[in-house]
Amino acid sequence: MTAPTIANRDDLISYLHTAMALEHATIPPYLTAYYSIRPTTNSDAAHIIRVTAVEEMLHLTLAANVLNAIGGKPDLTRPGFVPSYPAYLPDGEDDFTVDLRPFSPEAIETFCKIERPGAAPGVRARLVPVPEGSSSLLVSSPTVEGMRFYSIGEFYEEIIEGLEKVEAVDPELFCGDPARQVGPEYFYSGGGSVIPVSDLDSALQALRFIADQGEGLDSGIHDADGELAHYYRFRQLQFGRYYEVGDDPDAPTGPPLSITWDDVYPVKVSARLTDYPLGSELAAAARKFNAEYGAFLALLTKTFNGRPNLMQDAVGSMFRLRDEFTRLVRNPLPGSGGLNAAPTFEIPPVSWSDPDASTTADEMAEATW
Amino acid sequence: MTGQLSEQFLALSVDLTAFGETDLLGTGLADDYLAKARAACGDEVVTALLNAHRAARADAAGHNGSPDRNRLDRALRHRIFSDDRLGPVARNVIKLWYSGTWYGLPPEWTDCYGANAAAETSTVTAASYQEGLLWRAIGANPPGAKAPGYGTWAEPPRIEPRYLKRAAK
Repeated sequence: MTAPTIANRDDLISYLHTAMALEHATIPPYLTAYYSIRPTTNSDAAHIIRVTAVEEMLHLTLAANVLNAIGGKPDLTRPGFVPSYPAYLPDGEDDFTVDLRPFSPEAIETFCKIERPGAAPGVRARLVPVPEGSSSLLVSSPTVEGMRFYSIGEFYEEIIEGLEKVEAVDPELFCGDPARQVGPEYFYSGGGSVIPVSDLDSALQALRFIADQGEGLDSGIHDADGELAHYYRFRQLQFGRYYEVGDDPDAPTGPPLSITWDDVYPVKVSARLTDYPLGSELAAAARKFNAEYGAFLALLTKTFNGRPNLMQDAVGSMFRLRDEFTRLVRNPLPGSGGLNAAPTFEIPPVSWSDPDASTTADEMAEATW
Repeated sequence: MTGQLSEQFLALSVDLTAFGETDLLGTGLADDYLAKARAACGDEVVTALLNAHRAARADAAGHNGSPDRNRLDRALRHRIFSDDRLGPVARNVIKLWYSGTWYGLPPEWTDCYGANAAAETSTVTAASYQEGLLWRAIGANPPGAKAPGYGTWAEPPRIEPRYLKRAAK
C-alpha cells in the first residue's frame, strides 16, 4: 500500500491549494471551446460545455471553502496558479496534454480524458510516478516529490482520507473563521448550491460533491440526484445522442444531438502572445484580456479572504471577460494561415493586498509546486 | 475579391465609427454589414463609396504613412459626407454599426439613384442588435441581452477614459 501523503494540517493546506489550481485549470479549456462556437449554432453542445464550466467554478469555490475552514488562505494570484497550456493531464497517461482548443472532436476527447472516472485498480496505484521531463502537470502530489494521481477522483479521495485522519488527532482542525465562507447568498446560478464548510461532515460533503459531479468515482452515469456526471455529458457529444436514465454507458438511447463542427471560429490551438503581430491592435487586446483576467483572479482572492460579498463584483467581471473573450475569437490572427485569435491565459503577475490575509513563508514556498 | 472588398469596407468603417479594427471584427458582423450595404444600395454605389474613402485617405496621407487627422476629416467631408449620393449611404453605414439596423434611405435618394431595397428598414441578423457599437460607446449592456450580472446596474457606466471629457485636457 502506498504510504499516505497527508500527515498534518500543512499537508492538507497544500493539497487544497492544489485542488483550487486544478479546478481553475479546467476552466480556460472549456471556455475556449465554448466561445469558439458561432452564436446561435450548436446549442446542445454549447449548453453542455457551459454548464460544465460553471460547475467547475462552483468546485473552485467549494475547495476555497474547505481551505478556509482549516485555516488556509486561498491565493489565486500566486505564480503557477494558472498553468501554461498545453498542460499535462493528471490521469496517469503521459501521451497527451490539455490544450486550449476550439470546439472540435479533439477538444471533446480531451474533456472526456479530464473528466474520466478513475477508480484506481487498487489503492497502491492511486499515486503513479511522474514521467521524466513533464513540467506542466495539473494534478501532482504537493507533498511527495515526483508523484501524481491516477485521476482527479483519486486526488480528492486522498484529501478526504487525509481530513478524516488529521481531524481524528487534531480536533481543532476546523479553526477557520466562518465569516470567510462563501455561502449560497453570494453565489448564484452556479451549477448547484455552494456548501459552507465548518466541520468534517460539511468538508466531506463539499469534496464528495466535487468528485461526484465531475467524474463520478464509481457511481455510474447518473449520481444520486439523477444528475449526469461531466464525463458522460461529454460522451453524449461523441455519440451524438443524449443518455436516458438506466442507459448502458456505451449505448445512449435518448434523443439525437445535432452538432455542426464547422460552425466554429477556428481559433489557434493554445495561442501564445508571441503568435500575435508585434505592436498590433490585436496583440494589445490579447494582453488586455490577460491583465483583466489577472485582476479578476486578484478580486476572487479577496473574495475568498474574508470578503465573500465581493463575489457579486467578481461575477460582473466574469461577464465583462466573456465579452472580451468573444471579441478576440472573432478576429482573424494574421499570419496564422486562416486561424482566429483567442485568449492566451498568460497572466502577468498581479499583486493583491489585504492586511488580514498575508501569505505565510511556508505557503509562499508551496506556491512553486 | 471578396477579401479585398472586406478589407476596404473595414478601413472605411474604422474611419466612420472611430472604433478600431479589432473592435469591429470582434462583433463578428463586418461581412454581414458589407453584404447588407451591397444588397440595399447595389455594388456600384458601395464601390464608389469605398473608392471615395481611398481617395480621402490619399488626400490626407502624412509623411510617415499615418494620416493627418484634420486633413482626413476635411477630405471625408468633401468626398463623402457632402456628396448627395454617397453621404446618406455613409451615414447609414455608421448607423448600421452603432445600432445593427439598416435604416431606410429617404425617397429623395432612391428616386435619384434607384436601388429601392435601400428604402427598407431592417435588422441584419439576430446578433446585430446586441453587437451594436452604441452599447460599448455608452458603457452599457444591450437591454435584454449580454447579461451583465446581478447588481451591476448599480454601478456607473464603464466608459473608456479616452472618451471622458475630463481626459481631454
